Parts: sequence; structure tokens; C-alpha cells
Amino acid sequence: MQIDTHLQPAAAPSNESTPASSWKGVVRHLQLTPRAFLPMHAMPELTLIAGIGIEGDRYMIGREAGFYSHKPEAGRQVTLFEIETLWALQRDHHIALTPLEHRRNVTVEGVPLTHLVGRQFWLGDTLLEATRLSVPCRHIEEITGKSIFDPLINRSGLNCRILKGGVVRVGDVVRSE
Amino acid sequence: MARRGITTIRTIVRRIEPAGPGIKHLTLEDPDCWELPPARPGAHIDLSLPGGLLRTYSLCNGPQHHTRYEIAVKREPAGRGGSALLHDSIAEGDTIGVSLPRGGLALPPATRQIFVAGGIGVTPFLSAAAALLHRGDRNFVLHVLSHGTPPLARQLQPLLHAGLAVLHDTTAGRPDVASLIGPPRPNVLISCCGPAGMLDAFESAAAGWPADQLHLERFVPPPLLLDPAAKPYTLVLALSGRTLEVPAGMPMLDAIAQCGVDVPTSCGGGICGACKVRFIEGQVLHHDRFLTPAERQHTLMACVAGCAGGRLVLDL
Repeated sequence: MQIDTHLQPAAAPSNESTPASSWKGVVRHLQLTPRAFLPMHAMPELTLIAGIGIEGDRYMIGREAGFYSHKPEAGRQVTLFEIETLWALQRDHHIALTPLEHRRNVTVEGVPLTHLVGRQFWLGDTLLEATRLSVPCRHIEEITGKSIFDPLINRSGLNCRILKGGVVRVGDVVRSE
Repeated sequence: MARRGITTIRTIVRRIEPAGPGIKHLTLEDPDCWELPPARPGAHIDLSLPGGLLRTYSLCNGPQHHTRYEIAVKREPAGRGGSALLHDSIAEGDTIGVSLPRGGLALPPATRQIFVAGGIGVTPFLSAAAALLHRGDRNFVLHVLSHGTPPLARQLQPLLHAGLAVLHDTTAGRPDVASLIGPPRPNVLISCCGPAGMLDAFESAAAGWPADQLHLERFVPPPLLLDPAAKPYTLVLALSGRTLEVPAGMPMLDAIAQCGVDVPTSCGGGICGACKVRFIEGQVLHHDRFLTPAERQHTLMACVAGCAGGRLVLDL
């Protein structure tokens, strides 16, 4: 298959040499839930455990209480979502989706999540590695009762594994490694 | 770890209390009393019971009680076994998986609600009454038709005392339903839940009412929304040698699972590619946004695909 060269990175991603390294964002909201289907709670802080997940969250290794826990994946240790997507849903689709409804753990502002796949970055004092972009799922429509599957395609958040654990608080800085 | 994932909300039976002749009132909570998914007043939940039984009940508590689902179960000796199992085999402390709540009653503001309940059919209206009172709305009346002692008398008592509920003992015959609801008029919604005979009487009495002012609830699960174009077909799994007659509207993944074959799934909406399956024969309705035109000649996404013909053969 022929691939347009402008769709490919010019070189292997490097945290130092690309515009993605120039950003600095902030943690706006933190969320977790202990079991599949249950509403997320807003938290002032989350405790991230390297290689394991978020203390008390459904996808923490050893808990296995999430909707997708039967399909283990390192990148489900912590998930991020852009607050700009929530604004866009309101602006472009008149859908009011709250940080408690997107079902990712961390709502960030000013962080180009789509640039970060394959990279490491700091979330407060914790170090994460982005494994893949999240995809929307029908499950979230079932839970929220809102038609958000289509509008969330390609902007449904980021899956990450935790390289260095610690406590993340609302207001913490998010920056490239 | 569950091979097919978690498909229900895990609840604990926190309390079981008698609630009238042959009726038990069950309170279900999250193991840690976390909030449960929100519900509309009188919404339905499916209980996954031992032995693969699935039974649907209306919530009877107000949706403002975020941490519990309450249901009332009447023992039906001639029933299909669900109520007997809940009465005889389920104890406080047991775990029951329940579905997300669905349906329920719309309670628009500035609208009078007339609820007509037959026996255990009072449950969704107790939920609705609790929701209305919670918002300070007393513009409703609940008529309870009961043969002798009504179900859930303890929950009904404050409503009866406040003049918001009226008890009609049907020992000497059923009251005239038409007189309970009165003539059609604006800003009034009428709802009925009860046994089939009573619903028929209600429907006749409400014949002159506009459909959007009328809500009927039968003692059977509300039907699932089907694609009107969906047709039944024969599903053949070539490698496993299994065949299944798939009823119209059954998701292909469910049909494959019924054949005992596990296909990985993820998004459930035809975009992620997890449930890609090769097909050998058949006319496929592709509803995905993942496959290329070339791939569609021989593969399908089982989470959204349908069958346009009478037979589909998968390479499973």
C-alpha cells in the first residue's frame, strides 16, 4: 500500500526535537471508580503505583473489576482525557459531558494527548509512558445515555502505563519527559 | 478472571424484608456502598440469578437514593421460577449481578400524574412518588387496586396518610377505571401497571386519551429495540461445526457466543477491529467503519455486522 509521506513522522519521535516537547499542561480533574458500570468519583488526588495502576480503581492489577479487565493491558493502568474535548463536544455537538462521564482517570488541559503515543511524560511527580490512544466504546453510551461514540472517535483519551508512581493532585503540572 | 468480562453491576443483597402476602422487599447495594448507576423513577433492572435465569423488576425506591436499588418480588407459584428462587434461595449477603437500569417514568414538571396500580404493579409508582415528593411536587395521586392487604403497605402508608394514595379493595370487584382517570385533559399524564386484565380495562378507559399522555407497563420485560430491517438467518460456524438459527435482531456476537465460540471484542461499535472474523459464504451487512472495501469481501466485524440473506457461514 502506498502511504502519503506527509502522514508519517519525518523521523523517529524524539522528545527533544519536536513541537510536542514545547507544551506544558495541568491536571484539572481526577476520577476513579472501584468497579465496572459504577459512577466515577471526583478525587482531590490519586495514588499511582508503578506497573500496577491507581489505588482503588477498577483496573488496578489485583483488582480486575473493570469492564475490560478480562483483557489485561499495561496501558490501562492510568487513562487520560483532554478537557478540550469536553469543550468541543459542547461547542460542536451540544453534548454536555462532564469529567465524571468520560470514564478516564485524569482530565488534563493543555496536553496534546495524540502526540504522546510511544513517549514518556510527567504527570505531577509520576512518570508515564503512553501506550496507545483510547478508542470510544458503546459501553460508555450505555452508561451515560448520551450519543458520544461518534464524536469521540480519535479523541477518546490516552492509555498509559506507570513507570514511576506517586501521588497526583488536581493542579499538578503535566510536562514532557 | 472472567473470560468474557464483567457484564453486570455487582450488588449485595443487603436486606430482605417481608412486604405483604407472598412479597419480599430486597435492598441491593454495592459491596462498598458506592453509588450505583443512576436510574429514572420506576426504571427496570434485570437480575442475573443462579442457573442463568434473568428476571426483570421495577425499582420501587426513589432515584435520589443513589446507593441502593430496591425491588419487591411477589412469589408467583405458576411463574417461570425466578420469583420462587428469589424467595427461597437468595439470602441477605448474597451477591447478585444486575443490569444497568433502563426505561422508567418521565415526570415532567407542572403536570398532574395519575397512577393506577394493580397489586405488585405499585412498585414503579412508589419510585415515582418518592421522586416527586423529593422535588416538592405533590401534584399526583396513586390509586392502588388490591385484593385485600396491599403490597408494600409500610411504604404506602405515608402516601395514604397524606391523601396522595387511595386504596381500592377489589375483593368485591374492580372499581371503574374510567372514573379514576376522568376525561382527557391537558397537563395530565395517566399511567398504569398491573396484571393483563387490568391493563386491558385501563386501555379501554383511556381510549380517548392522546398517546403521549398515556403510559402502560406490563408485567413483562420491555421489548428491546430491534432494527426493523433485521431478518432471521442461519449461522454456520464452519470450523466448530455448529449451526444456530439466529432470530431477527440478535447481535451476531451473541449468536457466536451461544455456539460456545469466544470472539474478542472491545468497542462494540465497529471501529476498533477487535472482533474481525472471516466469512466463507453469505451476504453480509457491514455496519463498521474499520474494514476496507477489499477486506469486506471476506471479513466482517461481528459486533455490528448483520446478514442480508438466509445463511451466513463464518470461518470459526
